[in-house]
Amino acid sequence: MDWVEKYRPKTLADVIGNQSAVHELLEWGKGWTIQKKPLLLYGKPGIGKTSAAYALARDLGWEIIELNASDQRTKGVIERIAGSSSTTASLSGALRRLILLDEADNLEGNADRGGAKAIVDIIKKSRQPILLIANDAYGVAPEIRRLCDQVQFRAVPARTLAPHLKFICATEGLDCDADAIRIIAEEAQGDIRSAVNMLFGSAVGKDRISHSDIRVHQKDSRSSIFDMVAKTLSGSTDDNSLIMLSREVDDTPDAQIQWLESAVIQHREVWRRTLSLCYLSRADSYLGRTFSRQYYTLWRYASAIMLIGTSAASAGSGLRVKISPPDRWKRMGLARRQKTIRLSLLNRCSQAYHVPEKTVSDEYLTPIALLADASPDRFVRALNLDADQLALLIHDKARASAILKEIEKQDKEEEKRKAAQKVAMPKLPEEEMDTSHRDTVEKTPEKKKTEAQSTLFSF
Amino acid sequence: MEDIHGIWIEKYRPLRLADMVGHRDIVERLQSYVNRGSLPHLLFTGSPGVGKTTAAVALARELFGEDWRMNFRELNASDERGIDVVRNQIKQFARTSPMGNASFKILFLDEADALTTDAQAALRRTMENYAESCRFILSCNYSTKIIDPIQSRCALYRFRPLTSDDVKEEVRRIAALEGITVTPKAGDAIVYVAQGDMRKAINALQGAAVVTQNITEEQIYEISAAAKPEEIASLLTLSLSGDFEGAERHLSSLIRERGIAPNELLSQCYRHLVAMELDRMLKVELIDHIGEADFRISEGAQGDLQMEAMIARFVLSALRQRGIDQH
Repeated sequence: MDWVEKYRPKTLADVIGNQSAVHELLEWGKGWTIQKKPLLLYGKPGIGKTSAAYALARDLGWEIIELNASDQRTKGVIERIAGSSSTTASLSGALRRLILLDEADNLEGNADRGGAKAIVDIIKKSRQPILLIANDAYGVAPEIRRLCDQVQFRAVPARTLAPHLKFICATEGLDCDADAIRIIAEEAQGDIRSAVNMLFGSAVGKDRISHSDIRVHQKDSRSSIFDMVAKTLSGSTDDNSLIMLSREVDDTPDAQIQWLESAVIQHREVWRRTLSLCYLSRADSYLGRTFSRQYYTLWRYASAIMLIGTSAASAGSGLRVKISPPDRWKRMGLARRQKTIRLSLLNRCSQAYHVPEKTVSDEYLTPIALLADASPDRFVRALNLDADQLALLIHDKARASAILKEIEKQDKEEEKRKAAQKVAMPKLPEEEMDTSHRDTVEKTPEKKKTEAQSTLFSF
Repeated sequence: MEDIHGIWIEKYRPLRLADMVGHRDIVERLQSYVNRGSLPHLLFTGSPGVGKTTAAVALARELFGEDWRMNFRELNASDERGIDVVRNQIKQFARTSPMGNASFKILFLDEADALTTDAQAALRRTMENYAESCRFILSCNYSTKIIDPIQSRCALYRFRPLTSDDVKEEVRRIAALEGITVTPKAGDAIVYVAQGDMRKAINALQGAAVVTQNITEEQIYEISAAAKPEEIASLLTLSLSGDFEGAERHLSSLIRERGIAPNELLSQCYRHLVAMELDRMLKVELIDHIGEADFRISEGAQGDLQMEAMIARFVLSALRQRGIDQH
């Protein structure tokens, strides 16, 4: 049996790292009522999101129903599976059924047509707890995201990972030196699953592993891109070796160009900087051609021009270059996020005002922003905006989130008021009161169940 | 099966891991999976013809013995690259239980980097859900095109290009079994045209062997429609010396008389230029000329004309460089 499955945590207490997220998850589960929003667990691959969800279900004695991108997620399918499980009681007598929507950021494309809308419907109708899992919270359709509370899972630091790997080695009777453990823990870059896989891969057929056994299994070797940039900038490596090196590096040429760019701009002499940038730009246009024509032979010209060119421009400079991941990656990450927010905002305005998105962006955004600034709460309600979208309109993050909090508070009070009114009303026509759920036959047993649970969890 | 054996790359595909040429470290590890009878999901990366498929098939043979075909399925992702192939074909195979004495099956997904991102996303849970009954071996040219969640589920094996010695060793083995002779120069020629791709090497060998039992350098270049290294070298030297007429004549004899395709010539020129001792700025300029010609031909421009223009640009660049040097 492979170790990833074997050492998958059975209970929440066994989950490695992410203590605060796990705690939040447990609190949510323990105190779950029908009013609770679903949770969206998000974070990098392999850091325990799915495992935590299963562990939660096990800890609370819930049944789990999982839907993921490998199932067909058209609306009908989702409604049939999740819709029924969310309004009917479980046959096996489990307390609740936890609906797990894995890979919630992968709903795109034709094959999943209608998937996002179906999920929104289910979340609204569901009488069972729902967990959504995604790598990128912003990859989740905004209308779904807004209905959830978000919990971030973070990459697991090497120092947390190492003891876990040691534990596995001890259990398997494997002698593994400290260096090997350290290398695996670091190479995995916070990805538990990849670390366990690496360990498994290096360990098969052996009683002991030393750090030399690990080389072949590296997920991605960052060291070589550093090596490549350093050798290129030194100007004294021969061209063939440079090209071989760039092939060994796992980063694609477009990433390599950016690494080189952030290095060559450190040249003191203007001519070196400008010449290098000319070469990089030329190489980049070959990459553009490669991708637009899907003609991968052109890749080699990009590689040759950027490597030999910058090398020629750098030879003899004696520059002690500082090699670091391209600065613009951070900026691009931010920009991408801003862009998705902007797009979702445009989409919302366009639907509300029956104007094409482009027109909203070209002509209406300024007046809308001014109006929003004047009475933000009305805007948020009318367009159903979230804090990020509002912040983009009024250019004030703190104010936007304060306004959203205020609105949420008002909504809760409103709900309480309504609930109080309901209790005060005479008891008779109950099903008429509850418009969201007309199925009387089902209603009674369901009610009893909730009571039974609340006593169970009150200890 | 006799007809498949007609093709040497199948006939001489190593059946056991130990028979594979090169990749000692990888083979050793794969062997230890066999000894233990267990296997994680694997991701093989490396350029074409280095032995990824061979390793997967050999692994299956050794794990499953006689029954290997029942428990091994090969899918080429570049033929069927959509999400439906994952949802239907792959799931179908993965969820049925293994046959015979095997405790799991192997699904070999060739060119997995051709799968769309959607399809890869669908694949990742399938891999996990059916891990009990089915192991996946993915093979691809670039591991960066495989989404992170899948990389994180696999043990990664990076296949390096085969060395000249690896290629020569295999050529010698096959030649001995087929009873043909290969001159040392022909061996070098095979290494040159193959560029670390064993499939190309064996195809060139078989192509030449159809004509004669005694294989020479010429036959190898002819059968693989490539120019000899010396011919490329003289084409470049002529252009760089500023002799446009000479270079042009040489070029047209290669294209018209020898029938070498412009694409092949471009590749060869590129390889030679990179390895050449030359002022580096001039070198980059020339590489750019090759790239430009390659791009234009890929856009549908005429091969002959673009090749001539490339030679003309070579000459101009060389002359200008000489002018700079004289100043």
